[in-house]
Amino acid sequence: MSGRPSLVGRVAREEWRALARNRVAVVAGLILAVLLAGSALLCVEQRNAIEASRERHQASSDRQFDLQPDRHPHRMVHYGQFVFRPLSTLAFFDRGVDSFTGHTVFLEGHRQNSANFSEARQSSLLLRFGELTPAFVLQTLAPLLVIFLAYGAVASERERGTLRLLAAQGLGASDMLAGKLLAHGGAAGLILAPAALALLIAALLGWAPPGPAVLLLVIYGLYLAIWAVMAVLVSSLARRSRDALILLVSIWMVLVVLIPRTLPEAAARLRTQTLTRIETDIAIHADLNKIGDSHDPDDPYFSAFKAKILAQYGVRRVEDLPVQWAGLVGMEGERLTSQLFDRYAREAFAREQAQNRFVRGFGAVSPVIALRQASMSLAGTDIESHQDFLDQVERYRYAFVQSLNRMQVEQIPNQGAGEDPRIAAANWKRVPSFAYVAPDVLRLAGGRIAANLAVLIVWLVALLALCAPVARRLREDAR
Amino acid sequence: MALEAVGLEQNYGTQRVLRGLTFSVRAGEIYALLGGNGAGKSTTLNLFLGLARPTAGSARVCDVEVGSDPAAARARIAYVPENVALYEHLTARENIDYLLTLARADTAGALIEEALDAVGLVREAWDRRLGGYSKGMRQKVAIALAIARRVPVLLLDEPTAGLDPRATADFHRLLETARIRGVATLMVTHDLLGAAEVADRIGFLAEGRIEAELIAEGTERFDVRALHQRYLQAGAAA
Amino acid sequence: MNRFRYELRLLLRSRVAAAALTLLLVLSAVAVGAGLSASARQTALIDRVATAQARDFAAATTQYGKPDGEAGYAAYYTFHLTSDRPSSLAFAAMGQRDIQPYVLRVRLLGLQAQLYETETVNPELALPGPFDFAFVLIYLAPLAVIVLMHDLVSGEREAGRLRLLSALPVTPGQLWLRRAGVRLMLVLLALLGPFLVGALVAKAPIWGVAILSLVAILYVAFWAGLGLMVGAWGRRSAFNAATLVGCWIVLVLLVPALANAALSRAIPVGRGVDLTLAQREAVHHAWDVPREAVMAPFVAKHPEWKDKARVGGGFHWKWYYAMHEMGDDGVAGQVAAYRASLAARQAWTERLGWLSPAAAAQSLVHRVADSDLQAHLAYQDNVTAFHRHLQDFYYPYLFSERPFTRKDFARAPVYAPRGSSSSTPVVPLLALLVLSLSAWAGGVVGARRTVS
Repeated sequence: MSGRPSLVGRVAREEWRALARNRVAVVAGLILAVLLAGSALLCVEQRNAIEASRERHQASSDRQFDLQPDRHPHRMVHYGQFVFRPLSTLAFFDRGVDSFTGHTVFLEGHRQNSANFSEARQSSLLLRFGELTPAFVLQTLAPLLVIFLAYGAVASERERGTLRLLAAQGLGASDMLAGKLLAHGGAAGLILAPAALALLIAALLGWAPPGPAVLLLVIYGLYLAIWAVMAVLVSSLARRSRDALILLVSIWMVLVVLIPRTLPEAAARLRTQTLTRIETDIAIHADLNKIGDSHDPDDPYFSAFKAKILAQYGVRRVEDLPVQWAGLVGMEGERLTSQLFDRYAREAFAREQAQNRFVRGFGAVSPVIALRQASMSLAGTDIESHQDFLDQVERYRYAFVQSLNRMQVEQIPNQGAGEDPRIAAANWKRVPSFAYVAPDVLRLAGGRIAANLAVLIVWLVALLALCAPVARRLREDAR
Repeated sequence: MALEAVGLEQNYGTQRVLRGLTFSVRAGEIYALLGGNGAGKSTTLNLFLGLARPTAGSARVCDVEVGSDPAAARARIAYVPENVALYEHLTARENIDYLLTLARADTAGALIEEALDAVGLVREAWDRRLGGYSKGMRQKVAIALAIARRVPVLLLDEPTAGLDPRATADFHRLLETARIRGVATLMVTHDLLGAAEVADRIGFLAEGRIEAELIAEGTERFDVRALHQRYLQAGAAA
Repeated sequence: MNRFRYELRLLLRSRVAAAALTLLLVLSAVAVGAGLSASARQTALIDRVATAQARDFAAATTQYGKPDGEAGYAAYYTFHLTSDRPSSLAFAAMGQRDIQPYVLRVRLLGLQAQLYETETVNPELALPGPFDFAFVLIYLAPLAVIVLMHDLVSGEREAGRLRLLSALPVTPGQLWLRRAGVRLMLVLLALLGPFLVGALVAKAPIWGVAILSLVAILYVAFWAGLGLMVGAWGRRSAFNAATLVGCWIVLVLLVPALANAALSRAIPVGRGVDLTLAQREAVHHAWDVPREAVMAPFVAKHPEWKDKARVGGGFHWKWYYAMHEMGDDGVAGQVAAYRASLAARQAWTERLGWLSPAAAAQSLVHRVADSDLQAHLAYQDNVTAFHRHLQDFYYPYLFSERPFTRKDFARAPVYAPRGSSSSTPVVPLLALLVLSLSAWAGGVVGARRTVS
């Protein structure tokens, strides 16, 4: 659409003046700004409190571990370790699935425990109304404000008859449309301002990673722009402003509330069911039994293992080994179970992702889905980040258990160790503690972020492309 | 007396719209209330319909004090608003049936048909939805409703505004029929010629009261030129 | 009757109204269908897990059910399945059943280390919340009411009919009340029709269906009353629609979200983690103290094993299981505190019903459907009771040192499903009733004013 810039600007300025003089619009805008700024402050505080509590728990649990007395290393394998998932800094902006995933995992030998104590499981159903984060305000409420400001943009001119008047003054339909788009795009930008400020401050203070923070701004800017264009277009096509309002609120209802709710049900129904933990445990147990039984002297797998070890140490009997045989068997067992854990976890995650891909595929239908995905990914609170945490935890669990097993192999005598063999408590400090490496979200979920960004851009471009035929329609109407 | 206004006063804040309006309409009489914009015509109608309460004075419908029992007053009045708007997705017959039902009046089919016949609405249109009706046809439906209610008083708000001459003539014939039945008609209008043609009496409303009242005489009825003169004077005074 | 028929016809001939009602009917039907199938899926999953568990149990029986089998090994390696089937009303309100585990295996070890295990949940799917009847009732039905009610009076004014209608001898307000009544009735019909069919299919108890329907009626009536109030007082339809949508945002989205933020800050539940950490210390500390320190309190609790609880210095199953039981007992206070904090959250949520009818309706329908946090706690209680049965079952073998054979596996206690914990909380019901009546009172006053 090629418009004369001066006229377009004039139309936009007039629209802004109308908005500024509309008391209800100004109050609604202020309320949203307060909500946005308030939720940002509140969520920063809340995130820090959660993070501090997790850090405190982690520190106290680590200290407890180091303070354990002299023990048999295998006891420490079952005494285990608690790890707590640190919360990403941008979690203040979008809590993502964090409230729905457990953040505490108990690590022990040859068992893979679940991440427990998710907030959602410990809250009343109130939590299911949604958490008041800046992301919630921007995803859910901001589009409504955009709609409320823009539903009358063209429709009320038509209602009042000023549309013909403007045309009679020689204002082209495309100039007018461009002006209205500019006005409401600008208003959407203003709505985003408090969130932008919060993100930029967080990034400038070095508190949040700058790349994801800026990208968050970009995707929310695109999202609100999509709503602004949609609202102006519907307003241009509607006969009365009330029709425009009802239609736009219905669109909001379907895109923001209905589709995100119905898709998971469809995904759960269409896709293969994920295995329960119980079934997984049983299957792993059965698989382990298939590999071999270390207590059975005639077991082919462990006979071979024994032969290999004996050859390695150049001895003929296990009793002659310089290291503890039971510990070596334990390490081999841990290796085998860990392999199975990895395999089953990968399969489970793949099944989960198949369900999620089904939902994400609908990003093309509702920009809200694309936005939510990208937002969670950038905030580091999506399912990939959680899975990355679980992967790190499992790698750590294996290293942790094997380091204790190695102590058993090396420090507990192979023969004549007595009834209650123990090693010195000083050893526990040598066991590595869990060091979580916060993933670089752009690397971890770069593909997904790019795909969702593309979806948002396509939406905006497609809507802008509709402006030409709508302007034509306006020209015909004014005649 | 079918309609009676005695010393009606109506203030909106500091604005005095009616200042002691007094007039009456007998059964079988057509009274035209003439006045310019803002003379207080709509307010007068509101007071008779009980949609507003007078600051002072009284409005009576068939000896019922409107202020003390507006529902009883409304039960005796049929009102035809200036711009007749009815339910577009109902037919003429359904509209009348429904509104009669709301007014708790008799809804016998024969009664409705008689009324539609009386207003001269073409029979094919009776069961068509109002969506495609012309302004004149809509007004006929509204008058048919008024007739079907069989009430002693008819209030008309600018009845001929926007009607073509033929429709206006049809409408005037209808008023004659109502007069013969003994209905008291009050029409509020600024259509001087129309009023001169059908009214028995014409009241000039200016500054919230009746400034002058003329009575139809002989076949000539009114001196139209004199009427016009009066009208302009009343307008100038307002 | 004739008047109602006309109002019905008038309403249904309006395209927007007919579309809103049809959409509500379809969505309600789809939601009920989705709820029924989700309910059936959960039941099927429980059966599937039970089959797998039966195989595992059989394998344990073969492996440890030797003629000279030791109860200590059997108890250590045998898991016992517990499950929590959806109530017959859960189809209408799934509540937390999509995130709380409804299958859990326990064994004789310390219960507190087992009770909070999570099942596989796809958090991304759980995030938006389930699509069920409760969702349609709480979120969508008010919007249908808004579409139908916002232009109740202003629509007539904008169509130019208001003066004609006002001039009719109608008692003030009666017309608008009748029209609002017709709209309310239609919304309830579209909403509750599919629900009642679903209740028949699910063979839900009459009482629960009645309470749930009552909640739906009160909740929708609240919105209809509010719609009448705004519709009667407001001037323009667009203004009314915007005002009502604003009320919806505040009452359905904002107040609950704000309250949740306040609640999770005011009543933190980190105690769950604290109690598992404490339980671990209690159990593992027992390895490093004299056997007597564990056995003395155990014998004090179980005097029936006084003569058989003496153990030597080495490892012994009697001591091992006693240690686990004492570990649980040691954190009993913390468990109680943890449960109390959860109960406090629930209680405050119910009180919130006074501020938001949506929160009140949500508390009510899920309490009646027995699918909320309290329902899950009832399940945990039942698992705890079952764990005591396990102790009662295994302890005679352990302490009398009787062999645990194949036959004894068959005698192991089987988890009996819990009875319904469904109830009708008074606070939110009262709140909903009061809010609904006040909205109607406001609406009636507004409607009376309109005509005069």
